[in-house]
Amino acid sequence: MISPATIERLLVAALAAFLLSVPWSIPALINSFWVSVIAEILIWSLLAASVNLLFGYVGLLSFGQALYFGFGMYGVAIAISDFGWSFWPAFALGIVAAVAMAVATGIFAVRLTWHYFAIITVVFSLIFYFLALTNKWLTGGDDGVNFTLPATFSIGAAQWSFTDPAFQYLFILAIVLLCFWLMHRLVNSPLGHAFLAIRNNEVRASLIGLNVYLLRLIAFALAGFLAGVSGALFAFFGRYASATYMFYHVSGEAVVWAIVGGAGTLFGPLIGTAIFIVVREIVSSHWEHHSLVVGAVAILVVIFAPRGVMGLWRDWLARLADRRVPASVEAKLRTES
Amino acid sequence: MSDPVLRTEKLSKRFGGLTAVNGLTFELAGGRLHALIGPNGAGKTTFFNLISGLLAPDGGRVFFCGRDITGRRPHEISRLGIKRTLQMKSVFPQLSVADNLWITGYAHGGFLHPLRSAAKDHRTREKVELVLEQIGLTALAQRQAGTLSYGDVALLEIGMALISEPRLLLLDEPTCGMSPAETERAVAAIRELARVIDIIIIEHDMEVVFEIADEITVMAQGTILASGQPRQIATDDRVREAYLGRDEDEDYIEEGGHAQA
Repeated sequence: MISPATIERLLVAALAAFLLSVPWSIPALINSFWVSVIAEILIWSLLAASVNLLFGYVGLLSFGQALYFGFGMYGVAIAISDFGWSFWPAFALGIVAAVAMAVATGIFAVRLTWHYFAIITVVFSLIFYFLALTNKWLTGGDDGVNFTLPATFSIGAAQWSFTDPAFQYLFILAIVLLCFWLMHRLVNSPLGHAFLAIRNNEVRASLIGLNVYLLRLIAFALAGFLAGVSGALFAFFGRYASATYMFYHVSGEAVVWAIVGGAGTLFGPLIGTAIFIVVREIVSSHWEHHSLVVGAVAILVVIFAPRGVMGLWRDWLARLADRRVPASVEAKLRTES
Repeated sequence: MSDPVLRTEKLSKRFGGLTAVNGLTFELAGGRLHALIGPNGAGKTTFFNLISGLLAPDGGRVFFCGRDITGRRPHEISRLGIKRTLQMKSVFPQLSVADNLWITGYAHGGFLHPLRSAAKDHRTREKVELVLEQIGLTALAQRQAGTLSYGDVALLEIGMALISEPRLLLLDEPTCGMSPAETERAVAAIRELARVIDIIIIEHDMEVVFEIADEITVMAQGTILASGQPRQIATDDRVREAYLGRDEDEDYIEEGGHAQA
């Protein structure tokens, strides 16, 4: 008998195998354009994961995660085009810039909760969006900053760089999987449990000795890290950075992806992101008002599956397990741990 | 060593025009189970909020084992060893009973590891098993706390106080809403606890109070009306007048009023 936990493990393994095979299977099955669509899904899923870490685990709804995405993006672009840095230092600068910005704004933002918190995150992201838009000497404003991407690894004469589409895809996949693995470890760790405790009941959390303010700030910085990695990868992927990606509707989309996929679950954001980007790619080539479809799907999910796609899935698994219990009690002990 | 466990000096808290706690000077010698009673609105819960840091006082000072803790934040006071339960039962509703106890037992240890698996922390898990047995919730360990009955939530709250190994425990109406059997279990747990730690208990059930308290303090309108052994309190005229000595007829009248409202 297969338990729900085993089913999930098998599915994750199948998903991993599929993602690994993408550079070869997708061009053979569809065309190579979809390889970059999937790469884009992977990158954006980290931004959705950043929303999810705050909303699904600490209970803070941020509508400003694009700000840290933008800082990751510009960190990379400025390091390469202005400072002439190589790949890895540029990557590091993007992430550091995003986390530093998250800490600096988080110091003020996490004093607030609920709608006050949502509003202050929007305000911060708008301030820096307009600053990026007007300071063209640094950011290029709407036009953005274009750059030529240095090689990722070079050993002697041998080089691996994003000019090879398969390498580009696999590098993005490796970084995204690493981030999801870290998040998996985080949410099952004592720190992750403390986050959940705060989301559940902040007064009680403080009475058992948890420093609610500091823990929220740590979560905010970690979410800034995820958004920063996402932005840095997107800069590498597109070879440019632009202020348009710091606008709050980018943050809003990430919120929709996270909630539709299932906030408070590890892979929910990835699934939500995949659904919306695939729908966008398919519908937008036939119909210019594709965002209507996006809106309709979002509304339907929020009404009929408030815990998102992952919630539906978990309910279905639970029902499956329930139905089995009476039969299996007779036969033998349940095998689920 | 001569410092009392808890001492307050002219502690005051006002809410607008209402003075909830009015220049309260209190001393808990320690080693005794101390009950705090008084009519509704006497300022008992506000007094607990001032000690545990949920409210900052408008005046006066709080000392814990000789240490000035006035105005410290709740998590700091909690880490010093003052734990409490809330009148409105307060747990983590989406976590399992075992996880409620686990995070409570772990949190006062300080460092929260970001990557190690919480499930593999055997030291705290063992303590969780022990406490589950003490409060009689072993069978419900994996249930979500939000789905428990009111009495079981109250027991869980006591369990959470237990596992955090407090030096001073503030219990705010722990048996309120419990069935007789649950009350009995809770009283037994509290008695057991009182042997090793200092406890102040706010309780309206006079049967419970006179059964377990070594000392009773009566509050009314933000000040202490009387303090002493249960026998003295039971016969104190001022206390009778303010609290215990209400005519039963009056009670009926009030209850009738509630029923109509």
